[in-house]
Amino acid sequence: MRAALTRYRVIAWVVGVVLILLVVIGMPLKYGFHNPVVVETVGQAHGFLYMVYLVAAFDLSRRADWPLKRMILVMLAGTVPFVSFWAERRVSALVTAEQREREHAPEPIAG
Amino acid sequence: MKRLWTPAWIARHVAMVVLVTTFLGLGWWQVSRAAAGNAISWGYAVEWPIFAGFVVFVWWREVRHTLRTAAAQDEDAAAPASADHRGEAAGPDGVTAADAIDAKPSRPGIRRPVRVARVGAGPGADDAELAAYNRYLSWLNANPGAKPGDYPG
Repeated sequence: MRAALTRYRVIAWVVGVVLILLVVIGMPLKYGFHNPVVVETVGQAHGFLYMVYLVAAFDLSRRADWPLKRMILVMLAGTVPFVSFWAERRVSALVTAEQREREHAPEPIAG
Repeated sequence: MKRLWTPAWIARHVAMVVLVTTFLGLGWWQVSRAAAGNAISWGYAVEWPIFAGFVVFVWWREVRHTLRTAAAQDEDAAAPASADHRGEAAGPDGVTAADAIDAKPSRPGIRRPVRVARVGAGPGADDAELAAYNRYLSWLNANPGAKPGDYPG
């Protein structure tokens, strides 16, 4: 679980940074200065990195036994510039809190 | 199967179909753009079908999960003998085991392994009773023909 969370956090951060590069630098260059080189290179990379992000988020949600709705919200959060960082922090706090709760809860004897 | 036709599930089926058609349509649009000479579109033409496939994968996983949970619950209901330990958990006010199962939120059929904390007796913590029992066991082991009642200790 901890490893899955770390994987998710790393890729969430990378995708967030690339997305901001794309929106803050690439878009103005393309539409303001007619220089599409950043959008063409970073945009492609972002698409494939986002796939890795989806896989990491899916893996984490499976391990943490999340409901479908939360999984989809976390996946969508990765597409919104700046919000992705906030979402990553919330997910980390949530998973850590749930795990702590699970560790402190008494173990079931049977069933 | 009935569990896959609740309003929530119909919404999921519709969402899946809409997303997959949209993604495949976008992929096709990128193919046509690429064919028109926009070389960068080949990359997007590959990405969109993968996203569509991912949607189908998540949808299928949820379907299987629901069906498996349903099957497990049916099994539980069909075999009340397996619910013995749940009967113990039932309250004194006439709550039956079946009620307890129904009250539980649906859970996957796989449960975590049971872990029991056991404190090992340290080498210094000598228990007189345990030592006597061990002597008794070793005596039994040394005298295979003897009955437990013959133990002299």
